Amino acid sequence: MGTSSIQKKGIPVKEGLFIPGKDPDSPPRLLACRCSECGEIFFPRRSICQNCQAESLEPMELSSRGKIFSFTVVMQRPPSNYRGPVPFAFGWVELPEGVRIETLYTGCQLEDLRIGMDVELVVETLHHDDDGREIVCHKFQPVQDDNSRNNGGAFSP
Amino acid sequence: MKTVAVAGVGMSKFGRFPGKDYRDLGYEAVTRALGDADIRWKDIGAIFCANAHAGLGVGHNIAAQIGKTGIPIVNVENACSGGASAFRLCYQSIAAGLYDICLAIGVEITPRGLLNDTSWPEYERDMGFNVQPANYALEIQKHMETYGSTVEQFAMVTVKNRRNGVFNPYAGFQKEVSLQEVLNSRMIATPMRLLMCCATGDGAAAIILSNTARLKAKSRKVIVAASVLTSQTYGNKKGAGSVRIQNPDRTEIAAQQAYEMAGCGPQDMDVVEVYDTMSSAELTSAEKLGLCEKGTYGPLLEKGTFDLGGRLPVNTSGGLMSRRHPLSATGLAQIAEIVWQLRQEAKSRQVPNARIGMAHCMGAPGNCAITILKKDG
Repeated sequence: MGTSSIQKKGIPVKEGLFIPGKDPDSPPRLLACRCSECGEIFFPRRSICQNCQAESLEPMELSSRGKIFSFTVVMQRPPSNYRGPVPFAFGWVELPEGVRIETLYTGCQLEDLRIGMDVELVVETLHHDDDGREIVCHKFQPVQDDNSRNNGGAFSP
Repeated sequence: MKTVAVAGVGMSKFGRFPGKDYRDLGYEAVTRALGDADIRWKDIGAIFCANAHAGLGVGHNIAAQIGKTGIPIVNVENACSGGASAFRLCYQSIAAGLYDICLAIGVEITPRGLLNDTSWPEYERDMGFNVQPANYALEIQKHMETYGSTVEQFAMVTVKNRRNGVFNPYAGFQKEVSLQEVLNSRMIATPMRLLMCCATGDGAAAIILSNTARLKAKSRKVIVAASVLTSQTYGNKKGAGSVRIQNPDRTEIAAQQAYEMAGCGPQDMDVVEVYDTMSSAELTSAEKLGLCEKGTYGPLLEKGTFDLGGRLPVNTSGGLMSRRHPLSATGLAQIAEIVWQLRQEAKSRQVPNARIGMAHCMGAPGNCAITILKKDG
């Protein structure tokens, strides 16, 4: 069971964060959940609502396009675990469903990142583990201009 | 509720002391606090000792160097607010009438390098999110966008605090830095540069709290007007938070509770220690404490409002920027500074006629401790 696309594309840094895209027609999607009582959305998914403590959380897929809410370019190697390149950038992306996702940024010169920039989800290599296996994670990259005209800007951050 | 006073404070110097054990640093701070309070070891009813890195029984081992009296000793881990949390446990115990006199200790030998905050989920550490300066950077990027605060203003926080620290004999760095030095220091996480981040370090601080009825040196009485501890509220994640729900955060609710408890407000403060683990944290926290309107700390800082000699001196001790940051000792060192100020013992950094002061501390993964002290009589 479960060979195929996920393993070919590497091992997710944590199970249940996202569905990797199998091909260009089915892009990766983030997996979240929405509280059926208060409407708050959580990524990653959880079993109890952190806002109202309801246990009725419904799984949902999130849009793969959003806007940069905040970012920082890290020039110093983190104190543990992280094995990727330095410098690297991370921060928060706001998605149209009304949730902010903590994410790595990719696909551009790091100094070009700006708050409010239209970005889209990709699933990419995070690092290779001690056994040489590829570990993948979610990242956001700036949307190409022609795409952002069509799909970006559907909400204000 | 009994009225609680600060009977005595003591600190080791903060810095890096290879070869020194936490027991040595703790002993130094505790014996100084005992001397300062003029209280006998046998009069202490309970000890709360904060530490995050040294393992089991830290408070017991420090106490055992002085004497074993059979009293309850509780070891406290509350990250960077550990010392302030130990202070509050002493306060609670005395206010409730359980003990007349309690001892709060905070001690840390902090590993070198960037702090390895193990409170983060493992996959977030895998992704490199656990860089403390970077998380403050995410918050301050938004602050800059919203209020127009500037990198120069964050640098000025460091310059101000390092200037004050020159006069603090317990500070690890008693040397000024210039604005250019801060702005030219190595970039850690945009826009935070090395000298906008405090250095960790080693050190201990101790405070003896007492029921006022037991105090000998009444002329030096400093009353605990408020001692508050909060954790983070829903919707206030590191720099982001909920899109729809805008709850006041840990510092805002702590401030509200503390002002209510003390029967005063930010306008009444004569001297304040604000948690400056990153220079940007002083700016954003001071605004949340209501020391000024949101977005105005930077411009007021430029005018000297928060300097020694300004309208409201902030971090007269030099703050974490000058002292260094031995995690669990920091909260008590901040309170010690307010005590010295209210007793008029702060020498070259004395705020004239200081009568009310406040210490604000935060800690991972979401704590805030606020202490308000008043001079009695």
